[in-house]
Amino acid sequence: MSDHHQHEETTRSPYAARIRAIEALLLDKGVLTEPEVQDKISYMEARSPANGAKLVARAWVNDDFKELLLSDGKAAASALGMEPAHPAEFVVVENTPTIHNLIVCTLCSCYPRAILGRPPDWYKSFEYRSRAVREPRAVMREFGFEPPEDVEVLVHDSTADVRYMVLPMRPSGTEELGEQELAQLVTRDSLVGASVPLAPDHPIPTGA
Amino acid sequence: MTYRPGDRVRVLPSKKPGHVRTPGYLKGKSGWIEAVIGPFPNPEDLSYGFSGLPERTLYKVGFKQAELWEFYEGPDEDYLYADVYEHWLEPGTGGKA
Amino acid sequence: MSGVHDMGGSPAGPIERDQHEVEDWERLADAISSALGAKGLYSTDEHRRAIESLRNYRDLSYYERWVAATEILLVEKGILTGDEIGERMAEIELHWGGP
Repeated sequence: MSDHHQHEETTRSPYAARIRAIEALLLDKGVLTEPEVQDKISYMEARSPANGAKLVARAWVNDDFKELLLSDGKAAASALGMEPAHPAEFVVVENTPTIHNLIVCTLCSCYPRAILGRPPDWYKSFEYRSRAVREPRAVMREFGFEPPEDVEVLVHDSTADVRYMVLPMRPSGTEELGEQELAQLVTRDSLVGASVPLAPDHPIPTGA
Repeated sequence: MTYRPGDRVRVLPSKKPGHVRTPGYLKGKSGWIEAVIGPFPNPEDLSYGFSGLPERTLYKVGFKQAELWEFYEGPDEDYLYADVYEHWLEPGTGGKA
Repeated sequence: MSGVHDMGGSPAGPIERDQHEVEDWERLADAISSALGAKGLYSTDEHRRAIESLRNYRDLSYYERWVAATEILLVEKGILTGDEIGERMAEIELHWGGP
């Protein structure tokens, strides 16, 4: 039996034992092997919003890369050493001074996991899945961001084989910043359109 | 039926049971083809272990939010896009202004 | 609405912004699903269908739904039985010092 389980708290879900039991049985019967399982754990741990931030920062400083990112997201991700999933498409939509994009999956929680890793809890919540399509502006207001009335809000419901990410606008006052510093301004929430990147003089964030 | 960007379409109001990827809030609604995404195996069949073949064309379909929701809060230019399979669409009315 | 999961446009309250620490069992749920998919034993679409069929969909957390669906599919496909999962679960919980 795999030894990667640690002692879990007593308030754990009954489903914790259930999946352990399933794992143990699948390993015993040779349906899966430990390396196969560990491989998938490592796969997901290696993925995070930092990948998205890298794609965005590169697009901000390099127009050719930006064009590639917007026309062929998978090729752009591969160019930076990331492995997008197949056969799903990975499409990046651009925020502009007149357009703001918001991503949701109302039916489940589709998200570009192969690039960004696990979605945040709020993205998977019933409240977000229910309200993002009907009242995107009110949802964004809860995140502390409100696009003005002359900015179009475009909501993308990932109902099928496409996974979406937002290319946010580059914050003003960042002309002097290098790619790595720019990447640090790109929050996980801004990659979904729930918010916008940090300003260059932001206080050090504790999350998101 | 194949569609091209700009074509006006309507989402079928079908109550087909089982696993479908067309959300209820879009059924019977009118919009336009924003883009042709491409062919994919049909998830409705894949979800029951079938091959999902022949592949169906997936379209990015645009809708005016003001036409989807009563009392939508926002300008007329707020749109919603969803990815809808060809067999859930029929030629329709409505579209971008 | 074709099911409880089909919730786009439903009325709902404020969005909870807290992020819980992902637990090891949740990572495992993700990995098992993924590994089974990679071996062609079940597909993402089947997994979604199984999740959507859960009567207690609204009462379960995200990964609880994943695990429940994984079990449904493994039993459906004759790979495991509900009984052996139940028995193994009981052994594990005993080992952990009771559920």
